[in-house]
Amino acid sequence: MEHMYKKVSDITDALAGQQYIATDEISTAIFLGEKMGKPILAEGPAGVGKTELAKAWAGATGRELIRLQCYEGLDESKALYEWEYSKQMLYTQLLRDKISQLMSAAGTLTEAADKLASEENVFFSMRFLLPRPLLRALMSEKPVVLLIDEIDRADAEFEAFLLEILSDFQVSVPELGTIKAKSQPLVVLTSNNTRELSEALKRRALYLYIDYPTQESELNIVRLRVPELAPAVARQVVEVVQRLRGLDLKKSPSVAETVDWAKALVAINAKHLDEKTLNDTLTVILKHESDIQRARRALSSGKNARDVGQRS
Amino acid sequence: MDTRIVEFVSALRSRGVRVSLAESADSLRAIEAVGVLDRQLFKHALKATLIKEPADVPTFEQLFPMFFSGEGAPLQTPQGLSEEQKEQLQNALDALKQALQELMKMLANGEQPSKEQLDQYARQAGVSSQMRSYRMNPQTQRWLTERMLREMGLTPEQIKDAIEALMKQLKMQGMDGQGRQEVRETIEQNAEGMREQASRYIGQSMLQQPDDNPHGRRIDDLMNRPLSSLTDAETDELRNHVRRLVARLRSRAALRMRHAKQGDFDVKATIRFNQRYGGVPIELKHKRHHLKPKLTVIVDISTSMRPIAEFMLRMVYEMQDQVSKARSFAFIDDIHDISITFVEHRPEEAVPIVLHELPPGHYNTDLGASLKTFVQDYLDTVDRRTTVIFVGDGRNNYNDPRLDLVSTVKGRARRIVWMTPEPSYMWGQGDSDMVAYAPLCDAVHQVATLQQLADAIDDLFQRR
Repeated sequence: MEHMYKKVSDITDALAGQQYIATDEISTAIFLGEKMGKPILAEGPAGVGKTELAKAWAGATGRELIRLQCYEGLDESKALYEWEYSKQMLYTQLLRDKISQLMSAAGTLTEAADKLASEENVFFSMRFLLPRPLLRALMSEKPVVLLIDEIDRADAEFEAFLLEILSDFQVSVPELGTIKAKSQPLVVLTSNNTRELSEALKRRALYLYIDYPTQESELNIVRLRVPELAPAVARQVVEVVQRLRGLDLKKSPSVAETVDWAKALVAINAKHLDEKTLNDTLTVILKHESDIQRARRALSSGKNARDVGQRS
Repeated sequence: MDTRIVEFVSALRSRGVRVSLAESADSLRAIEAVGVLDRQLFKHALKATLIKEPADVPTFEQLFPMFFSGEGAPLQTPQGLSEEQKEQLQNALDALKQALQELMKMLANGEQPSKEQLDQYARQAGVSSQMRSYRMNPQTQRWLTERMLREMGLTPEQIKDAIEALMKQLKMQGMDGQGRQEVRETIEQNAEGMREQASRYIGQSMLQQPDDNPHGRRIDDLMNRPLSSLTDAETDELRNHVRRLVARLRSRAALRMRHAKQGDFDVKATIRFNQRYGGVPIELKHKRHHLKPKLTVIVDISTSMRPIAEFMLRMVYEMQDQVSKARSFAFIDDIHDISITFVEHRPEEAVPIVLHELPPGHYNTDLGASLKTFVQDYLDTVDRRTTVIFVGDGRNNYNDPRLDLVSTVKGRARRIVWMTPEPSYMWGQGDSDMVAYAPLCDAVHQVATLQQLADAIDDLFQRR
């Protein structure tokens, strides 16, 4: 599969096929990630398409996307594997007759215990192992795309544990031994930079900073995703969003929200973006009351004045 | 190319960018993968492997062209000269004055100066020692380049004179006008190329010098400087640093909470969880601790206290998610509830608003009177989960300190913490009532620097 992508531009094309418009920087990072077998750490503001990148790449290569959403308190049993206690219990119950039959041959207590011990590995086998995303990615026969989303939300300990896996692509399960990756997954880590990631993690990964797109490429995205929207409206939409990002808002509108807004405008069948439509639909891109107030002020005063985008 | 990249990496390091050995090895592998033909891809590949902080990107962008701008247009030889004209040119060059000869020969024959020659010029111009002692910035680079060019005889005026001299010689040798024009253009172009080369040489040499003041150390330095002695620019820099600092404090607080001893045995949760094992209690559940202090912050915002007040309020509000409820009050001569301003605005706006609404007066600080109003109107903000933080120097202008009211507050609160910018030996001097207040507090922190403030706030979130 790797040999399909000899050039960086091949990757841009493949991603474009998934309706993902990639800059050279993004494509280079993916290209290097594939070639060098290194994880890619994508940072940037929320909603610029970091997660989308992993999905698009999985789509482009036809690989399975395995996603691990990080959150505070995420631990190994949720991320790597867990023993299925209930299934083990059920089997013990059902196999009780068989067990007592085996045990009955034993003369002494010691013999019985030994016998039981020798059958132990029945209960600690793959059968009762519940693989979580990380282990699934390692055990997959075909290479997969492993998306570790919002790594900055997980704790520092989890990050350290992740490092171990990302450097060797193997894990050890005490009862089973070491499981080595059958095929090396392409790992994409995303971070919204709410917390400083460890130096060690950054060292091991290729670093990709994705910023808000330029007006032109955002317009391309809107056209690609919402082709039904009238071109003139699309341009206005992108202009407003770009101007809003220049304001000092609690939460700047993301690319995903731009697309949502475009879709909303299609739904209400807006022919052009006049003041009323703007006011009615502003809530699609702005999620804080104070932001909406500020944006209204800036946009209405900016109708013919130029002070939008500048802070008063 | 490999040595070039290694040099580039050491230049990055000298500018305070942290690049590990593994990363520089990665960059070489990456370049192997993308090749060097496409300059843009080459750049992205280096960036992805070497730069891991958005803050380091500008440094990268600045240095990259100095190392990989290509060698510029290679120096040319004059085209379209006949054998005879070539000979005339060499003769004319030989006839030039000794001082001009070497340079003009190089320019006319399109020879690049070697590294050794450049080193020699730099020594002669007296810039080699300065390249080592100055920090890299565009102005010094331009200045040193200028001096080096003068030494080489490459400044535009010098070149003009030199060309005129050569032209005279060529005319005497009998070269026709077209040939002379050709020689003139070539030399002008080559001189331009050589100037660029000299400028790059200076830039690179300067970058090889280790930077004595990389960014990381600078922040540490700022962290430990008294807040009241910072310049505006430094305050701005620190403000930006506060976010990162808060993020670190926050994850430490969260970690500490998780590592803290587990709470009491939770019967309900255990029964519920073990339903799946048929009621056999295989896993025990404990109650989790929720350490979310309620904070009531009472801040003195008279002139001496302002820098600390600002950073203090910022940090507390950035840590909202660790705090279940925070109320803040500011006082100079009477207490004001500033919580509403903080809810409505973001800290970076709210702080100036508060400071604007409460302009500092002259010697009118009165904590006693402020406390009286606080106890009358706002005592309900304090309960047994609340930590009350006083931020102030305890200088009361000889007004009644009202220790009885502090005791009243203490009786209701979980803890009372006092943060003062003054070291303990200054307490009790002049109008300071710190000596009287201190015994009533559970902790008194001296916070004159951001580092101390961070430590004090970290302490707030510790279990005890």
